[in-house]
Amino acid sequence: MNYISLMIAIPLIGAIISFFTRTRAQARMVALIASLVPLAISLQMYMGFDKTSKIMQFVESYTWIPSIGVKYTVGVDGIGLPLVLLSTIVSVLVIIYSWGEDKRPNQFFALLLLNEVGVLGVLTALDFFLFYIFWEIVLIPMFFLIGVWGGPRKDYAAIKFFIYTHVASLVMLLAIFALYFTYHMPDGSRTFDMLTLLQATADPKIFPPGLLNIIFAGLLLGFLVKMPAFPFHTWLPDAHVEAPTAGSVVLAALLLKMGGYGIFRVILPILPHVNKIFVTVIAIIAVLSIVYGAFLALAQKDLKKMVAYSSVSHMGFVTLGAVAFTWMSIQGAMFQQFSHGLITCVLFMSAGTIQHTVGTRVIGDLGGLADRMPKFAFLMLAGFLASLGLPGMSGFVAEFMVLTGSYATLPVFTMIVVFTSIAVTAGYHLWATQKVLFGPILKKYLQVHDAHSYELFSMSMIILLAILFGVRPNLITDIMGVAAYQVMGPVVTLTQMGVI
Amino acid sequence: MDLGFYTPLGAEALLTALAVLVILLGSLMKKSGNLMGYLTLAGLVVSLGLVMSTAMSTKLGVVFFFNTLSVDALSQFFKAVFLVVSTLVVIASLSRYKDTKGADEFYALLLLATVGMMVVSSSIDLVTLFVGFELASLSTYALAAFDKSKRNLEAAMKYFIFGSVSSAFMLFGFSLLYGMTGTTKIAGIASAALSNFAPATLVALIFVIAGFAFKMALVPFHMWAPDTYEGAPALVSGLLAAGSKKMGFAAAFRVIFVALLALRLEWYLAFAILAALTMTLGNVLAIWQNNVRRIFAYSSVAQAGYMAMTFVVVGAALGQPNGAAIAQNSIAGGLLLILGHALMKMGAFIAAAVVGYMVLKDGLKEGSDPDDISNYAGLGRRAPITAFCLLIFMFALAGIPPTAGYIGKFVLFGSAINAGLVWLAVLAILNSALSLYYYLRIISYMYLKEPAGPKISEPKGYAVALILTMIGVIGIGVFPQPFYNWAMQAAAVLLPH
Repeated sequence: MNYISLMIAIPLIGAIISFFTRTRAQARMVALIASLVPLAISLQMYMGFDKTSKIMQFVESYTWIPSIGVKYTVGVDGIGLPLVLLSTIVSVLVIIYSWGEDKRPNQFFALLLLNEVGVLGVLTALDFFLFYIFWEIVLIPMFFLIGVWGGPRKDYAAIKFFIYTHVASLVMLLAIFALYFTYHMPDGSRTFDMLTLLQATADPKIFPPGLLNIIFAGLLLGFLVKMPAFPFHTWLPDAHVEAPTAGSVVLAALLLKMGGYGIFRVILPILPHVNKIFVTVIAIIAVLSIVYGAFLALAQKDLKKMVAYSSVSHMGFVTLGAVAFTWMSIQGAMFQQFSHGLITCVLFMSAGTIQHTVGTRVIGDLGGLADRMPKFAFLMLAGFLASLGLPGMSGFVAEFMVLTGSYATLPVFTMIVVFTSIAVTAGYHLWATQKVLFGPILKKYLQVHDAHSYELFSMSMIILLAILFGVRPNLITDIMGVAAYQVMGPVVTLTQMGVI
Repeated sequence: MDLGFYTPLGAEALLTALAVLVILLGSLMKKSGNLMGYLTLAGLVVSLGLVMSTAMSTKLGVVFFFNTLSVDALSQFFKAVFLVVSTLVVIASLSRYKDTKGADEFYALLLLATVGMMVVSSSIDLVTLFVGFELASLSTYALAAFDKSKRNLEAAMKYFIFGSVSSAFMLFGFSLLYGMTGTTKIAGIASAALSNFAPATLVALIFVIAGFAFKMALVPFHMWAPDTYEGAPALVSGLLAAGSKKMGFAAAFRVIFVALLALRLEWYLAFAILAALTMTLGNVLAIWQNNVRRIFAYSSVAQAGYMAMTFVVVGAALGQPNGAAIAQNSIAGGLLLILGHALMKMGAFIAAAVVGYMVLKDGLKEGSDPDDISNYAGLGRRAPITAFCLLIFMFALAGIPPTAGYIGKFVLFGSAINAGLVWLAVLAILNSALSLYYYLRIISYMYLKEPAGPKISEPKGYAVALILTMIGVIGIGVFPQPFYNWAMQAAAVLLPH
């Protein structure tokens, strides 16, 4: 079975059909079906995944542009599969959350599906050419989601988002070119095969250290901007504040994960062969992202902006765990990707629901909403607690693993700084929920009614998942275990694995 | 005389005969715009078939008429580009020049311009090359003024004057080359000892480059392009940007790479400066424009800058061991970009023509600019097909995958890195990023702004041409393999074996 190709093709077909539907009911039904099928496929893949195997699974490989060494190669391992699962889950839930979208629904749902296509492609592509194409395709639906359905400064935010991340992608492309032109296959031809090129970077005779450092920096920039890490995070708050709720959810839950995925897939295999200064630089960036993100979140008046900065802070844990380079920290960082992807959905959905039921997201103007929106308040509170790292939910496990794993290799003062920021994190989460939900209800909000059932459904599903993976993290970490070892060892190509 | 021998030139013969026929019939019949259009369309499609069948056959590399015309992979590649562009113009014109008086002349001129471009792409002799160049140029001068509005006339006049001066430059350069080498054959010039004529060769090179650079619209020889593209009928602007500009490249490829190979270091330097200037200035100026056709014009200038990178990369590569492979790859990249740009720009100008038609229907306010970007507001809902196609062209021009524009840039920029020209590749990539701004600006007007008027029914001819172009742009991006192979074959023609 060509699981992966099907999983990518079906949302694409769904996007085209949805684009041409005439009513909202048709559009959303098409979108729901076209996103449920990939979810079923990814669950099937999850069931069929061999957790002990070291090789890429579900691999498909076809020649595409043989004269320049481009192949259509897709496959997943423990790095990709959890994120594939995340993407298919979030795509379904975000479509359900947007059930009531009434502005150009056919285009809206088509773009959500197109976005899923791009993300799944990035997470499964094993050829740099293919990878880059999907990487760029993702920008297009997000540009329109922000630009058409966004807030007052949507034009500015959409263009800034596109150009900022596109420039970073182009830098990455230059680095890919350098990889491509430096390495020859044994028969003299060239290849874009990811694993082959990554394996070759270990050989200083092919990639002299000076060149490899430059290539590494280029790739790193591409991924850090996407994550986004301090100081490349400035596009994120604008994009989030202006984006519609579904756009924000997809942006935070899936698009940022592409950056993290790139770190694991591409950056870590090269890391042992480049100048050691990079480790320090990345660690500093990670710590600054965690701390700076947390403090900025603390200072925000807009609930959504606060959540956006909390993403910067939480994604810092991914970078930190990755660069600490121990088995536990890497696994924790991978799990943090998965966990943050889930939890951040609730946060953005909360901000979105408040925005359109109450009409404002300014924390200072809100108060006592729990009185009129009890179900919503319960879910939002659960989401915020999950985000601040309440034990029993997935966020706690992830951050715990990152911190424990990093303790061995990173200097003690970084740990102290990070732990301080965790207190700040708890602070802004609690302060915001307290102000928004509790206290006496403000008079102007007496007429407010609870959130729509489809919104509550999406949010509660995510809370359930966050609890499930908080109690049984091994459901996901078991898949990642072997991959986390693999990342630290030498890269093995698909041919050596015997897959193709 | 064996006529069968001349079948590879059948397309040119057919189009020339058709041009005469169209004029004759047109003078006899009234209101024959549509008939002439379909006749021309049929002729172009058949010619395209002929050219493609020659390109597929193994009999390439034949020379005709005393070593003046060569039918090889390169010539057929360019001919296919020109024929596709002209075909698109004709399909779109079926809606535009339906009952216009003198439509027959429009089609006849278009056919002659196409023949001229095709002759240039086959020429291996400077005189034939010049004749073809002038045939195409003179026909397009007339076409640029075809609607006879004041803006048309101004555009055509400017184009004519700049074009004539550039022809004069080119001819002077040719005459110097002839004086030094005693031959007008490109192969003959290549084998002559040019270096014996030291300073004069440089003068000849400068004149030749200047002559071509006008047609290619490289900075600082680009001044005519924005005014002409803005003022000429939109479809003719498309023909100029997508077809006639590529003729400049077709000519320059043969003359620079083959005839003037001995002056490699000199033209390497010249084109390094020209390419860098052109892409940067083109993009920077495009950002400030509010007239969409001017944006397209400057974007076209910038794209010419990318294409001109081919010269730089080849110049650098040929000085390296095993440089021929890099050079071939780079020319192939240039050719792919030329093919892609021909489609993307043609499509963009057809879309501009639709908007012009729409604005006319709205009732043009006195003194307002029909191509102003504000007229594109909400185009996504006013003219969905046009807007969607234009969206694809804009992304393709910006080099977003998977489109023809991406593949061309990918191969070309990659070859620059391969040749060690990292600065050039970085500059080009930064420029690509910069260009995204004004492409996104048009897109944001089309899709993010509220419509400025009611929905219109898009004329069929325009819609068909747009959809065909869009399929081409995406098709080349998704299945680049055959096009890349063809471009590699064409590139091999230019390199010493």
